[in-house]
Amino acid sequence: MYRKQVRRRRAVLLLLVAASLTLLSLYYREGNGGPLHGAEKVVSTIFGPIEGGADRALKPVRDLVNWFGETFDARGESDRLRDQVAELRDQLARSQTTKQEAKEIAALDETLSGGIVPDGTDPVTARVIGRSPTVWYSTVTIDEGSSDGVHVDDPVVAPLGLAGKVTQTTPNTAQVTLITDADSAVTARVTSSGATGVVEPDVGNPRDLQLDYLERGTQIAEGQMVVTAGFSTGDLGSIFPPGIPIGEITKATAEEQQAYQRVHLEPFADLRDMSFVKVLTTPSGKGKR
Amino acid sequence: MILTPGIIARLVALGALVAVAQIVCFSKMDVFGSDPDVALLVVISLGVLGGSLTGAVTGFSIGLLMDCLLLETLGGFALAMLSVGYVAGRYRETVGPPTRGAVVLLGGALTLLGAAVIAAIQIGTGIDATVSFLVVRDAIVKSLIGALLAIPVFWVVRLMVRSALVDERRAARRRPVSPTTAGTR
Repeated sequence: MYRKQVRRRRAVLLLLVAASLTLLSLYYREGNGGPLHGAEKVVSTIFGPIEGGADRALKPVRDLVNWFGETFDARGESDRLRDQVAELRDQLARSQTTKQEAKEIAALDETLSGGIVPDGTDPVTARVIGRSPTVWYSTVTIDEGSSDGVHVDDPVVAPLGLAGKVTQTTPNTAQVTLITDADSAVTARVTSSGATGVVEPDVGNPRDLQLDYLERGTQIAEGQMVVTAGFSTGDLGSIFPPGIPIGEITKATAEEQQAYQRVHLEPFADLRDMSFVKVLTTPSGKGKR
Repeated sequence: MILTPGIIARLVALGALVAVAQIVCFSKMDVFGSDPDVALLVVISLGVLGGSLTGAVTGFSIGLLMDCLLLETLGGFALAMLSVGYVAGRYRETVGPPTRGAVVLLGGALTLLGAAVIAAIQIGTGIDATVSFLVVRDAIVKSLIGALLAIPVFWVVRLMVRSALVDERRAARRRPVSPTTAGTR
């Protein structure tokens, strides 16, 4: 009897491990239109409205926990930050969720002001409803999908700066891969010097990005702003329009610039705590601008 | 664990609920720079209460649902959570019902194991970017949060599947019959 149980347990375990490995392998091999991607999208579509409802229902719980975290972080910081925490506490007490959301959308609009949005682009405001629980997958789920005009490769902007791009869509949700994801690479320009490079993440550290492949000899200093370069050569072009703020140079040593052609920057957008984003959709949905 | 249709329905509801709550709520919390992995703690609790088979099957199912909801590589979370559920179940089968201290230790250690499996899958499938040391810090903080939350999560899960637990039934049978009802049967 006991042996039978052990055999059954081992068989089920082997079956589940084999199923996981087969899914992993097939998922990597097949394209975006493959049956596994399709099945995944069906499940995500079904759960999309539930996620949206649950996100709103659980927001007070999340805010309360985050308030404790923010208060802890704020200890020992300047008076200005203390005032900010107090202000946030007041807002929480008065349950001014609506006002807060309006503010975030206004910050988003401000980020996209100044002619950054190219002609023919229609920015769609979306709520962030889901987030991956591991630092390895820097992705979030938003509540707007292909039925709202969102396409794969559409750029996504958060309050204060670039967030990432759309990598998968369902009719009512989309997956956004953040600029801190291991697969992310964005062509960028340092505004004051004009030097261009590629912004890549430092996996696991969402407050640090690297601007790689800089030309040797360019003078880059801390505090300079980095924006999307948005290059275009014939049919080939960046999916990000030029001029979207990405971050500020935080570390630029001559040694690292000489040896690795690299400087470090901190993203403007708080990618761990954003409720709304704007997706820059185009009617064609090709992503290229 | 005695699996009746009612208990299976309860497990399915618990799995779906915790997967959605993990993605829309717990993952968006910021606790010391990381976030609580409550879905993993639920799998650990089910493994500890129901054994390796229950742990592995529920871990695989919740993980697969999370893969689908996040539109991530199918099988990634499924493999990580089934490993954790199986190990938690094996602990129960070899050592016996856990004490409170053991639940705390299991919560911390197995959360770390889950993070390690996810990291191994990522590295195994190829990664171009540099990896920060903060990945290790995140895993350690997550593990400490896991240890802190292990007891309350275990308590809630136990409450939900109480009627299916063999230990609870044995304990109920051992309880003495009250003198007022003893002679009425």
